[in-house]
Amino acid sequence: MDPLFGMGVLALVSVFAAIAGYTEDLESVVGSQSNPNSQVQLAPQMKYPHRLFNKAISGEPLSNAIIATIGSVVAFPLLLLDISPLAAIVGGAFVATLVHIVFATTSFLGRITSQSRFKQPIYMDVYKTHIPVIAAYAFLTVACVLIICFLMTKYLEIPIPAPILAFVFGIMIGSIGSAVGDTQYGAERLYQNLEFGSGVNAAYSGNIARKAESGTRSGIDNSWFSSKFGGPATGITCAAVVVMTSGLTLLFNPEWGETVGWVGVAAAVLFIIITVLINRYIEKTARKRFGPYRENEKTEAIK
Amino acid sequence: MIESLLFVFLITLGGILITLSVHLIPVGGAPAAMAQAPGVGTGTTQLAFGIGLTGLLVTISVYTLSDNTLLGIVFGGIASTVMIAIVMLISNVSYIYGIGIPLASGKAVKDPITKDRQDIYISKGTEGHGVPTAAFLSGIIGGFVGGIGGSLIYAVLYMALSSEINAPLAAVVSLPMILAISIYIINAVIASYNIGGTIEGFYDPKIKKVYKAVLVSAIVTFLCGVLSLIIILKSGGVV
Repeated sequence: MDPLFGMGVLALVSVFAAIAGYTEDLESVVGSQSNPNSQVQLAPQMKYPHRLFNKAISGEPLSNAIIATIGSVVAFPLLLLDISPLAAIVGGAFVATLVHIVFATTSFLGRITSQSRFKQPIYMDVYKTHIPVIAAYAFLTVACVLIICFLMTKYLEIPIPAPILAFVFGIMIGSIGSAVGDTQYGAERLYQNLEFGSGVNAAYSGNIARKAESGTRSGIDNSWFSSKFGGPATGITCAAVVVMTSGLTLLFNPEWGETVGWVGVAAAVLFIIITVLINRYIEKTARKRFGPYRENEKTEAIK
Repeated sequence: MIESLLFVFLITLGGILITLSVHLIPVGGAPAAMAQAPGVGTGTTQLAFGIGLTGLLVTISVYTLSDNTLLGIVFGGIASTVMIAIVMLISNVSYIYGIGIPLASGKAVKDPITKDRQDIYISKGTEGHGVPTAAFLSGIIGGFVGGIGGSLIYAVLYMALSSEINAPLAAVVSLPMILAISIYIINAVIASYNIGGTIEGFYDPKIKKVYKAVLVSAIVTFLCGVLSLIIILKSGGVV
């Protein structure tokens, strides 16, 4: 394969990975899936009933992987019937979205009804307004994953069958969305009623912000907030991971000789060293700018 | 027979490496997503799984391009490391610029590598936040070890299947891949039980319990290895 052509396809793949990461994170924010869900679930128990959509189908990577795999299982056989790839991908993503809506519905109703003893009502308007947004984001995520699989299997000559590749990318994008994007939602947006610039004090667990910029806060308000930082951060991470991992074998193709492959390993090591240095730099600047929380007293490490 | 034993031994070694790697990657679970605990803000299994699959993907593409087994395994390890490095870096960016908190470890008064004070940078009511330098380096080592483990399992199963079978490449690739993914997640779950939610890396006191997980992992992966080889044998592979 021509490396220039390969890099072009990889650039396209990384764009779709960025969009998939962005939409995946926002989908999890609208439905408060993943780790911050613990706070949304805890709030009524601490006497803070809320109007957020509460679904935790499973961990983000797994729920994301299952819809991506369902999408690809529907889409890729359609390609054999001589249907245009775009139509097949849309069809696959549509079916996957329907499955996701079913999961989101059962998860939402099940979780809220289990909290009836804490006086948390089921707001049907919350359900009706959030489900289309969740469906739209899930559709975009699945469609992007399917496009990535299509490009990789067809043009990058990856020998993995598309459904397994979709599973891999579903897990990968889900775990990045869970690791990177959710912290801003969980630590900042859910606790905007606390002072900025500190972790959430464990004593305030469950005391989530329930008032919005105007009116009562909903999951859609939260996605607006996360679309400014958490979503793009997830997207950038997804794109960076795709470029820096799959790009290695394209730029330093082991087919041209083993030495080229080992040079690729060396290049990756160099990249890792650079990330360590950047991390050290931002760690130092943050400490210098923010300063310590308390004076130089002696404390014990938490065992 | 000796070859089969060697294969099972290598698969077991891969499983042990995965279990070790999960102990080294700084993960804070749900509390880290609320900046209540240090580490990457997601579950141990989930992050380890994502990292392992990234490595596996690269290993497979290297195998289609080159016959060098060692290169494929090392590439898998390095790809996993690249993924964890990017995830830790951008999650730190998110902690610092999105939430406005410095990185601080709760398990060490001073960072074991940079010797920076940690305790005074921990905000009230939390156990620390973010991935400080020592934890970052621990995560990088963990990513590499885990990536090597996953790729090693895949490489062994692939060799066992691909030596004589006349099947399409996609079929030869997918069966070892599914088995490797399964063994990977089993070991990630074993390690997660041992960790119990959060761990900061090599300097965390919880690392002392690692031998328990290694023992369990060795037994379980050995059984998985035997079963995988039987599946491979039934699918036409030569063991």
